[in-house]
Amino acid sequence: MAELKRFIVRRLVTFIPTLIGVTLLVFIIANLIPADPARAWAGGEKASPEVIERIREEYHLNDPWYVQYVFLMKKLFTNDIVSPRTHNKIWDDLIFGTSQGVAGAGTKYGRFFITLQLTLFAFLYIVFIGIPLGVLSALKKDSPLDSAVRSLALVGVSTPVFWLGYLLIYIFFVRFRVIELAGFPEPTQRITGIMVIDALLLGENDIAIQIINRLALPAFVLGFIGIGVIARITRNAFLETWNADYIEFGKARGLRKSRLMRHALKNALVPIVTVLGLQFGGLLGGAPITETVFGIPGMGRYMIEAIRNFDYPALIGGVLLFALIYMLANLIVDITYALIDPRVRY
Amino acid sequence: MEICKPILEVKDLYVNFYTYAGIVKAIDGVTFTVCEGETFCLVGETGCGKTVTSRAITKLVPEPGRIEKGEIIYHTPYGKINLLELPEDKLREIRGKEIAYIFQDPAAALDPLYTIGYQIAETMVEHKTVPKWKEAFIKAIDVLRSVLMPDPEKRVKAYPHELSGGMKQRSVIGIGLSNQPRIIIADEPTSYLDVTIQAQIMDLLRKLKNEKRLTIILITHNMGLVAEMCDRVAVMYAGNIVELGTVEQVFKNPLHPYTKGLLRAVPNPLTKIERLEAIPGTVPNLIYPPPGCRFHPRCSYTMDICKREKPRLVEIEPGHHVACWLYSR
Repeated sequence: MAELKRFIVRRLVTFIPTLIGVTLLVFIIANLIPADPARAWAGGEKASPEVIERIREEYHLNDPWYVQYVFLMKKLFTNDIVSPRTHNKIWDDLIFGTSQGVAGAGTKYGRFFITLQLTLFAFLYIVFIGIPLGVLSALKKDSPLDSAVRSLALVGVSTPVFWLGYLLIYIFFVRFRVIELAGFPEPTQRITGIMVIDALLLGENDIAIQIINRLALPAFVLGFIGIGVIARITRNAFLETWNADYIEFGKARGLRKSRLMRHALKNALVPIVTVLGLQFGGLLGGAPITETVFGIPGMGRYMIEAIRNFDYPALIGGVLLFALIYMLANLIVDITYALIDPRVRY
Repeated sequence: MEICKPILEVKDLYVNFYTYAGIVKAIDGVTFTVCEGETFCLVGETGCGKTVTSRAITKLVPEPGRIEKGEIIYHTPYGKINLLELPEDKLREIRGKEIAYIFQDPAAALDPLYTIGYQIAETMVEHKTVPKWKEAFIKAIDVLRSVLMPDPEKRVKAYPHELSGGMKQRSVIGIGLSNQPRIIIADEPTSYLDVTIQAQIMDLLRKLKNEKRLTIILITHNMGLVAEMCDRVAVMYAGNIVELGTVEQVFKNPLHPYTKGLLRAVPNPLTKIERLEAIPGTVPNLIYPPPGCRFHPRCSYTMDICKREKPRLVEIEPGHHVACWLYSR
């Protein structure tokens, strides 16, 4: 246990240089764009020179780039920087919630939590559809089902997210009207940050159902690539362990098939978990398109708006958060290895 | 010799493997009887079908193999059953409970992600010989003690990678014995172990056999082991049994040219020989097996009939059978 703690601390320390590197890279690229952010923030061509000058002062735009960067990071650290676009503090927009947030109304949840919830839903799809499909496909090797699952990975990777999104909107919204595409219900109180869980904790079941209803389809679209990929990885890993000697010995000692499958699946879990961790990052990257297609006021859309308006303080804040989540996901994967396999040592 | 009370009869067993290269006729009409309480040995070179025969007994032939025909008669205290006709779920109840296996490579036979205590307990709980997991874990310690595992209270919580090869094989034997089976099929139980450990494991098997009145089917290519452990021995060659008899009969008076060659190729534990000789030629390709007697291309006594017709196993003296045209006309 002490070893595990040391390992986690060591890994957390390596987060710092990574975060600096990621933000620095985004900052430099944003700075290379030949545009005048101050003018854009002040309102474009017709902005008055005094306002532009005041914004330059406020955001240190006249200083060299490294001073700007340090200023930005410091302010981000203390949540003391206002997005020139939304006029809210950046972490209020993303995490803490604002009095005047999504669509004008106040929100208790920052946009990050909306995206996180969408991502977790998509992740559930991947785990609970992808893994069973993979196992099934391995058990029925070379059957039509197996071929279908194997081609699903290919179809998933080559289907554009926006196309699938619009197709499903056409079917479920335009034709059958079973989903909603506007508004985003919130529970009355923020507890954990995940809306569905909060709603259930508060006993506000109808709100939980509304949220699930709102997210079910976009999460499926977001997770679609992952389902095929995980099914394929699971199939191959499971096939390998299913032919292992300990499964043969398991049969010889008269274990039931369900128990044999448990042994095989647990042994196949290491590659599956690795890919799941990577998939989680992929989901975050896929969120902007899905959110735009389905009109979800999440962080991905927030960042697209930020890019469009040269709002690079908000952009870097968002990138910082994405990077942090990605690294955390991979840290969790590494810890999971030790939980699965007693041979793993840190 | 005592009167044989049969516990297991293998009758006219045929197993084929359907590979891309063609149909491998791995087991070609094998027949033998195992008597209760004896140690019956199957010997032969690698690839002669010993392991497949032993797995076929409880229908554990791996893909793409198929049991084509034959009967496996198992004598329970309540009567005879043909294991090959038993539905899968009934067969599962026999595997590991009535007929248990010990595999060749203990490191691969144990699931690396579970403690050995768990795997022993699991075997008992799955067969309902112990109703509760908690009890099963406690009983697992006794099982480990019975296979002479050092420090069983501690080892029961150990993962396979924390044990030595000998301890792993003791655990595998423990798993095999946990439900007090009537027959143990030990498939080269010592070939992955150091020589010193081999002797310990064989001692253990002999001790357990005497204590629990087990019937052991031992599969090996080690003639020394055969002489030491077995009551009766069946010599296999290319999917056939070529000679069958008591250890005395087979070692002192080998009849089949292959058995003779085999005994000249290894130091014979019962008679002294001057120098070791190899059997000329190689094991035949079983996709296109030689017609007639499968040994005839390597045999120095080949006659015309050997190339045409397959010899049947016939009794030459009481209990001593051979499948060779030299002895049957």
